[in-house]
Amino acid sequence: MTKEDAQGSTAEETQSKKGLKKQQKEAEKAAKKAEKQAKLAADQQGTEEDDFAKDQYGIAAMVQSQQKLDRELVRVQDLTPEMADKVIWLRARVHTSRAKGKQCFLVLRQQQFNVQALVAVGDRASKQMVKFAANINKESIVDVEATLRKVEQKIESCTQQEVELHVEKIFVISQAEARLPLQLEDASRPEGEGDEDGRATVNQDTRLDNRVIDLRTTTSQAIFRLQAGVCMLFRETLTKKDFVEIQTPKIISAASEGGANVFTVSYFKTSAYLAQSPQLYKQMCICADFDKVFCVGPVFRAEDSNTHRHLTEFVGLDIEMAFNYHYHEVIDSITDTMVQIFKGLRDRFQTEIQTVGKQYPSEPFKFLEPTLRLEYTEGVAMLRQAGVEMGDEDDLSTPNEKLLGRLVKEKYDTDFYVLDKYPLSVRPFYTMPDPSNPKYSNSYDMFMRGEEILSGAQRVHDPQLLTERAIHHEIDLEKIKAYIDSFRYGAPPHGGGGIGLERVCMLYLGLHNIRQTSMFPRDPKRLTP
Amino acid sequence: MALKELSSLEKFLGLKKHNKYSTQGDNKVPVLQSNNGPMVGLLTVCSHLVNEAKRPELLGTSTEHRAMVHQWLEYRVTKVDGCTREEAKTVLKDLNLYLQDKVYLAGNCFTLADALMYYGLHPLVVDLAVHEKEHYVNVTRWFDHLQHYPRLRHHLCPVVVLRNRVYIGGHH
Repeated sequence: MTKEDAQGSTAEETQSKKGLKKQQKEAEKAAKKAEKQAKLAADQQGTEEDDFAKDQYGIAAMVQSQQKLDRELVRVQDLTPEMADKVIWLRARVHTSRAKGKQCFLVLRQQQFNVQALVAVGDRASKQMVKFAANINKESIVDVEATLRKVEQKIESCTQQEVELHVEKIFVISQAEARLPLQLEDASRPEGEGDEDGRATVNQDTRLDNRVIDLRTTTSQAIFRLQAGVCMLFRETLTKKDFVEIQTPKIISAASEGGANVFTVSYFKTSAYLAQSPQLYKQMCICADFDKVFCVGPVFRAEDSNTHRHLTEFVGLDIEMAFNYHYHEVIDSITDTMVQIFKGLRDRFQTEIQTVGKQYPSEPFKFLEPTLRLEYTEGVAMLRQAGVEMGDEDDLSTPNEKLLGRLVKEKYDTDFYVLDKYPLSVRPFYTMPDPSNPKYSNSYDMFMRGEEILSGAQRVHDPQLLTERAIHHEIDLEKIKAYIDSFRYGAPPHGGGGIGLERVCMLYLGLHNIRQTSMFPRDPKRLTP
Repeated sequence: MALKELSSLEKFLGLKKHNKYSTQGDNKVPVLQSNNGPMVGLLTVCSHLVNEAKRPELLGTSTEHRAMVHQWLEYRVTKVDGCTREEAKTVLKDLNLYLQDKVYLAGNCFTLADALMYYGLHPLVVDLAVHEKEHYVNVTRWFDHLQHYPRLRHHLCPVVVLRNRVYIGGHH
């Protein structure tokens, strides 16, 4: 044989060797595949064969009110050792599910409460049922029939630590999609922890885009229950003081606080504005003899500010009252209301405050009784002593406000105080000037943790003086004619102020962004959800 | 600026004769005319003044001490003068760490290093906000000590230093 031939034949040989190997491999593959298929078929047969618990679990038909079941669903928070050995039904969300051999551990969650549940292969549950339970998507809502049992060792990770549920029936009432846009565990994790362990936390934009899920965390539940508490305490306290709740229009014909930051809406053939505050209407109610009024409602400010404390729409809690001889009667009434709210939160919402504190730790809110009241000139003096340079009639910048808050906290140990007698030049035209010093006014601001929460004053109730002040501020008298007219038929001396619900909650809890205390916040960049 | 410093230093040292200084170049380096020719540079002139006032201990007592004093004088002229905001932060951070356990910059007594560093750091410190002064707590302590040192301050405005900590925790 020639070399070529030899090479050729070896090539052929290797070719056929290769070919053989290839064939062998393919045959193996086919064999394996056949095996797998056979096993699957056997499994399936197996599942169909052995499932004695077929009726104890599954995805229930959509609840379209087909029937009225006289069945009591127990609340997770009521599951205590006293109920041990009872068979109960409950409806909750699947927080986590974890299979371990012949058992599946579920954590079932209802708002701030959760409990461990166990599905184990036995005479009640089949292998297929355990598998089903382990594969239920997180956040799905399930109906569970189970026996409540006491546990020897406390379950530290659940709120109900001394009991667990032994599941007999489990039905999915509403299935959640497999992929969640954010994980609740990540959303509940404190910021610092996330960075340390390399575990994720969820950033604010993601939270706000998927607010429905973000609001399910125990922290969010606590924050908004506390916010509801603030509203409730506001109403309760003022009603006890004989204030009347009023409703004021939000579609108005003239901008109440100046034309710059107002939203315009089309109103049939003309346009109108969204109210920047209930100011005008509060005062008109006083002139209409309601004496002491308050209102809770939305406030719209078209301010293009992207800060941690500005929203374009927020809830305003507004107060206005007639007084006898001195506007300090108004300040005292407002500060007392605030103190009652703080006390009410401290005494009745301690659970919520603690829950928020787990994710967002902060110093407890401190206040004095009676509330600390400093004059503006004193505040300026304190700032100057700390090295800040400012004029007597300058307004306080935000950094100076915050520094003053710190200085006051250091000197008087309070997070809440009033600054009285602001310079007239930095206040709106309807503010009553100080009778003894024309440079100052009968106006005040209130601060929580160094940030402003309320701006208020004695209002000018004399139409002539009001006109003078308006001219001084170069305001078009035509636009405010109706407002001035309301004081022409006898108007009592009065004053008041307005606070922002979201800001008060944010500052009371020591949070740092107002979007955390607004359920569906509105700012220049966000219109949904 | 350097000329005001030199004038203050003269007053501090108790020198009766007040020299006339000129400046040289874009950086306004101070120059003092003398019998032996012109003396150029802040450190040169200052050392000369100290010797004239017969206060050599202000430049250091032992060899190591003198070396330390000189090192700080160099630091002043190279790192502190004309530094940007970012560089200033580094300077203050380093100084804060260094001054953790020291009353004066070099050794256990007041030296020219303290005087010139005080003059040099004043424009940085005067602009610090309250929470920054609290952050660089050792620098602030040393600075406050120096600005009250008898006869040292002269041309500089006093910087307010609060007695008590106003910012607890990080957030301000």
